[in-house]
Amino acid sequence: MGEEKDLLSTLLLEIRRGTLTISVLSQMKEPKYGYALVQNLEEKGVAIDPNTLYPLLRRLESQGLLESKWETGGAKPRKYYQRTEYGTKIYKQLKTYWENLSDGMERLLREEEA
Amino acid sequence: MKPNEKEYMDRYIYQVIRRLPKAQRDEVRMELEELISDMYADIGSMEAVLTELGDPAEFAKQYQNDRQYLIGPEYFETYLWFVKVVLICAAAPILAISLIHAIGEMPTMTSQNAAPVMIRAIAEGLAKGITNAILSCISAFGVVTLIFAIMERQKVKIELKKAEKWSVEKLSQDKKITEFRWQPKFLEPVPDKRAIISRGESIVGIVFIVIFSVLLIFSPHFFSAIFTQGGTVTMVPVFNLDQWESILPIFVLSLLIGLIDEILRLVVGVYCKLVMISNILCGAIQIVLSAVVLKVLPIWNPDFVSELELALGSQADSVAKFLTHWNGDMVSNGLLAFIALVTFLEIGTTIYKTLRYGASSKKS
Repeated sequence: MGEEKDLLSTLLLEIRRGTLTISVLSQMKEPKYGYALVQNLEEKGVAIDPNTLYPLLRRLESQGLLESKWETGGAKPRKYYQRTEYGTKIYKQLKTYWENLSDGMERLLREEEA
Repeated sequence: MKPNEKEYMDRYIYQVIRRLPKAQRDEVRMELEELISDMYADIGSMEAVLTELGDPAEFAKQYQNDRQYLIGPEYFETYLWFVKVVLICAAAPILAISLIHAIGEMPTMTSQNAAPVMIRAIAEGLAKGITNAILSCISAFGVVTLIFAIMERQKVKIELKKAEKWSVEKLSQDKKITEFRWQPKFLEPVPDKRAIISRGESIVGIVFIVIFSVLLIFSPHFFSAIFTQGGTVTMVPVFNLDQWESILPIFVLSLLIGLIDEILRLVVGVYCKLVMISNILCGAIQIVLSAVVLKVLPIWNPDFVSELELALGSQADSVAKFLTHWNGDMVSNGLLAFIALVTFLEIGTTIYKTLRYGASSKKS
């Protein structure tokens, strides 16, 4: 049983890895700070653990898809992330790809049901 | 936030950032302070917040890059192959030389104790040889691993640079990239079975060259006529050990060239132009060097005959008598002819196999 659970979580992780990138990029047109993004995604039904999201944001920034800025004006310093121009370009392509993929997947999975 | 809750937050953050590279620590600390205080404001209990975030070690792992190996899958197969070859080439000569040494340094033996003395010498040689072989295998393994680890690192660096360049050009210049795409015409023809160079032969060749070189360098007196006479061992060296220092370098150079040729064969593994050219060049140089060693340099012990006669005294039997007919010039000529013949045969075989079955293009 443990093996089955391990296998399943590995497979789920593989599916999630790419979808999280698109999910995050989709929300970053306007500047947002980390925890607001966590809540934002959760409200829309895509839950993400903060300990996955924060490192992901850093990675996307190092890849040039996001840029960040520390806002020190408020009660405490906050780091705001926003999509770069390059990030938007990539996001649009990912979105097109995703739409085609999800259409295809839908057909495949419905075929199975019938 | 109560002071003890702040304390827990600091402890948690410390456990995450101490696992990260120094350059990232300060910024990640600020990020986590922001995150944890946001979550605390939302949830209201530090314990619940930290429980949700989970093991700080796991959290830190998410921050680390995926590259967590010494030698990646791309190099791993080559690495394994290399380790095997290097281990054999390190262990076999050392084992053999330890044995030879043990037998060479055998204490005087009489006809009564010959068997036990010999067995003990061989056992000691084996024990020493195995110990030395294991030690040298460990260092050989270390060196090979280090070289591959460095290669892995360098490659990763190169790839990162490539990725950076790509990311900008990738989108606007799709056409250019297709030009560099892999195409079926890049496929090399499958080598003829008869064009494949036996790995075993190359390794045996390498091991013998190494053994011979080490003996020449460290114990040239091993090449001696050995006699036992009434309990004493007399060794009459064949080589001119008085001028050994000027002879040895050229001797070893010649062997080294042979070694390079063997290693190239082992690495390429197939008869092709590169192997053929190397074989012709190395063979030619080896014949020239052999001629220099045998004909120009005073390689033979000039007192061989007189020392031999002295050692044998009146007791000379037929074999020893034959040895007293020793004539350095004749031996040189014979050996040189033999070396030339063997080398020409090998070059001939290589040329024939390359032209007949070999890969038409140089293996890159």
